[in-house]
Amino acid sequence: MAVPKDSLFRSCDMSLTQLYIANEIGREVVSALGEVGEVQFRDLNSETTAFQRTFTQEIRRLDNVERQLRYFQSQINKESIPIRPQHEFSNMLAAPSASEIDELSDKSESLEQRVASLNDSYETLKKREVELTEWRWVLTEAGGFFDRAHGNVDEIRQSSDNDEAPLLQDVEQQARGQNGDASGGPSLSVMNIGFVAGVIPRGRIAAFERILWRTLRGNLYMNQSEIPKPLIDPVNNEEVHKNVFVIFAHGKEVIAKIRKISESLGADLYSVDENSELRRDQIHEVNTRLSDLASVLRNTKNTLDAELTQIARSLAAWMVVIKKEKAVYQTLNRCSYDQARKTLIAEAWCPTNGLSLIKSTLQDVNDRAGLSVPTIVNVIKTSKTPPTYNKRNKFTEAFQTIIDAYGTAKYTEVNPGLPTIVTFPFLFAVMFGDFGHGTLMFIAALAMIYFEKPMSKTKLNELVAMAFYGRYIMLMMGLFSIYTGLIYNDVFSKALTLFPSQWEWPHDFKEGETVRAQLKGGYRYPFGLDWSWHGTENELLFSNSFKMKLSILMGWTHMTYSLCLSFINARHFKTPIDIWGNFVPGMIFFQSIFGYLVFTIVYKWCIDWYAIGESPPGLLNMLIYMFLQPLTVDEQLYPGQMVVQVILLLVAVACVPVLLLLKPLYLRYEHNRARALGYRGIGETSRFSALDDDDADGHAMNGGRDSMGSDHEANAMITEDIGDEEHEEFEFSEVMIHQTIHTIEFCLNCVSHTASYLRLWALSLAHQQLSVVLWTMTLGQAFNFEGVLGVIMTVVFFYVWFFLTIAILCVMEGTSAMLHSLRLHWVEAMSKHFMGDGIAFEPFSFKLLLEEDADEG
Amino acid sequence: MANGASIIIGLVFVVVASLLAYFFSPKGENQTVWRSSLILSFASCYIMWAITFLAQWHPLINPENAELRPEHAP
Repeated sequence: MAVPKDSLFRSCDMSLTQLYIANEIGREVVSALGEVGEVQFRDLNSETTAFQRTFTQEIRRLDNVERQLRYFQSQINKESIPIRPQHEFSNMLAAPSASEIDELSDKSESLEQRVASLNDSYETLKKREVELTEWRWVLTEAGGFFDRAHGNVDEIRQSSDNDEAPLLQDVEQQARGQNGDASGGPSLSVMNIGFVAGVIPRGRIAAFERILWRTLRGNLYMNQSEIPKPLIDPVNNEEVHKNVFVIFAHGKEVIAKIRKISESLGADLYSVDENSELRRDQIHEVNTRLSDLASVLRNTKNTLDAELTQIARSLAAWMVVIKKEKAVYQTLNRCSYDQARKTLIAEAWCPTNGLSLIKSTLQDVNDRAGLSVPTIVNVIKTSKTPPTYNKRNKFTEAFQTIIDAYGTAKYTEVNPGLPTIVTFPFLFAVMFGDFGHGTLMFIAALAMIYFEKPMSKTKLNELVAMAFYGRYIMLMMGLFSIYTGLIYNDVFSKALTLFPSQWEWPHDFKEGETVRAQLKGGYRYPFGLDWSWHGTENELLFSNSFKMKLSILMGWTHMTYSLCLSFINARHFKTPIDIWGNFVPGMIFFQSIFGYLVFTIVYKWCIDWYAIGESPPGLLNMLIYMFLQPLTVDEQLYPGQMVVQVILLLVAVACVPVLLLLKPLYLRYEHNRARALGYRGIGETSRFSALDDDDADGHAMNGGRDSMGSDHEANAMITEDIGDEEHEEFEFSEVMIHQTIHTIEFCLNCVSHTASYLRLWALSLAHQQLSVVLWTMTLGQAFNFEGVLGVIMTVVFFYVWFFLTIAILCVMEGTSAMLHSLRLHWVEAMSKHFMGDGIAFEPFSFKLLLEEDADEG
Repeated sequence: MANGASIIIGLVFVVVASLLAYFFSPKGENQTVWRSSLILSFASCYIMWAITFLAQWHPLINPENAELRPEHAP
């Protein structure tokens, strides 16, 4: 069968294929198809849960490896080691063999253990280090407290014995008096005074003091001091400010209580010796231990870093391998498995034109594996809706995305993405028409296309990434804006004098006088707006009328074009009733009102009204009175106008019932005739008895085929259908309601959509006025100065003007014009023909898979 | 130089250009894209130009200027 060539005009022809794959090479086959990326596997096990499928074990294992790789990634990010980017491994994209996967999983297993143990020991060591540092602080700080305490033994006793004694009575003074002579005083233990030393986070100190005071009723003597340097918490790497405290109290039980309280509040207690010499030794010991620990820590860190750097070098490639492998098994899980013949059976959608490529790929895999059993590709006929697949390239991709964002086109309906390549940027340009701004946009797009490769590899911010994705749209928008800018004769709001003007100014007039230009005979300005209009009093009067009519004409053209696409659709789907019931009456209705309006606009332009000595009639009133009082014509545009208008009006009115009734009545007639001939819908009565008892789907496909071998394809089609196809019953009321809605919508939309195209006028007017204002407010001002000041002003104002031109006129106005153009496509144009009830083609493709992941990451 | 006949001449040019675009579009996968885009571009540009030309063919108003100085009159 000759297959027409695929193009962007309509989605590719798709075929549903059955693949019989030998079990041994299932993985390789699916992996090879993933590289091709043009096959969408159907899920044949949709009734089984994810856990009951064949390859759950493998997926679990790969999940585990993926988790390990992610763990490495998080560790590498934590140490901020650069990961070698994915695009450096172009040769790694080949499908890995099973042994490579095993190797990789073993490797990552052992690496994970190693990294984890290194991490653990590093953390333990870090914790030890912090503890030792805290202890050192306690030792150094506590010295002072002891010295003071020794001098105040009496005080402490007193305060402990007598509840009413003030706690810190004259502590400071006396401490100074004793001058810290520790050896002189009696030992604290002799006096049965115990103490607790430790550190506590600074934030808790107030609570700590209060609780101690309350529970011990003031029977304690507490000293504390702040540790000047923040300590680092090894668990979460945060800085913590802590205080050292030493609490003196009387009696063992009280001390035990204090210990409990302080531990419960998160304080770390350290043993400190009372004797200053012993304490000195302790400090010494702690210092040596700390320095030992530091060197061990350094070593551990170095080993860990070396290990992670090693991993970072190939991590991205491993990630790719694992992701691909996982996707392969997930796809294999969609296939059904024939136990008896040891084959995998897969059902897949693929473009009919890609079948030969797929077959040859499968043949290659088979040859490589050296298998005698070939992989069978069997095209089956089906009544299932094939998925919609439009092949894109980097140029058409962004345009197609615009359409797909609105809806997926019905299978093989006309794809609006094709005309959108021109109409979208063109309608944009009608609103954005300025030679200068268009050039800036064109250059920006050109630069992005020139630096395509390096830019696609770097991570861009959101706005730039969006512009980069639409770089070809921007190129076209820039190009058309240059053209429309020339037509509007606007270059940064100034005019170009490319050709001699068609207007002549009088030479004899006084300054300040309003002068009126005269036409230069039969000569007309050949391209675009005459530059004589620039800066005149009635410029807006002229350009408004021109641009308003321009947008109506453009809108009419665009809508008529879109409406014609519905004719092509009806032809393609072989539904003549859509031509006679929808397209023809719709088109006549639209043309007899708005086509006529367009005709009168052009006609009015073509007549030299002053030459024939008549006053030109207002078209707006004409159109309104055409409906209000069709039998009278106030200002005549052309002879016989009344008759023409009445006929057009009658034709338009006559089209409405046709639009409303023809299609539903025809459908009903057709349905009744089929009924009379004895046909019934499959869903209406009992099913085919011969096939009814084949409950297993796979069995029905194989067994059923053998028994009814004469008609392979038809049989496959029937078994396919029985599964899950729904059959709509004909319901006249439903069809009627649908058509009524369509009719009302169509007729009202003709009016509102034509009005909607006036946004072309509004936006282009706004754009032009804004750029005039910007010029006069900035650069125009600069030219009022003279001399050095003038030079400086010009430079300064140039930058201001240029920056605002880019920011406001190009970026902001550009975005707004783009959104309006988008709306004109989605609403005004696509509503005329777009059915959009298709299912998007989601091929199993490694390339897409990795791109998606890159976007997420 | 440029008068009412320009509309027809322009149309002829655009039709010829479109025909050339149709027959000389690069062959291959993207032929449809080339053809459609080129012809649509020509058509849109022609319509835009023709509308502008027609609007100025028999102008109903003349430009008026109060800020013109006699010595700078073009």
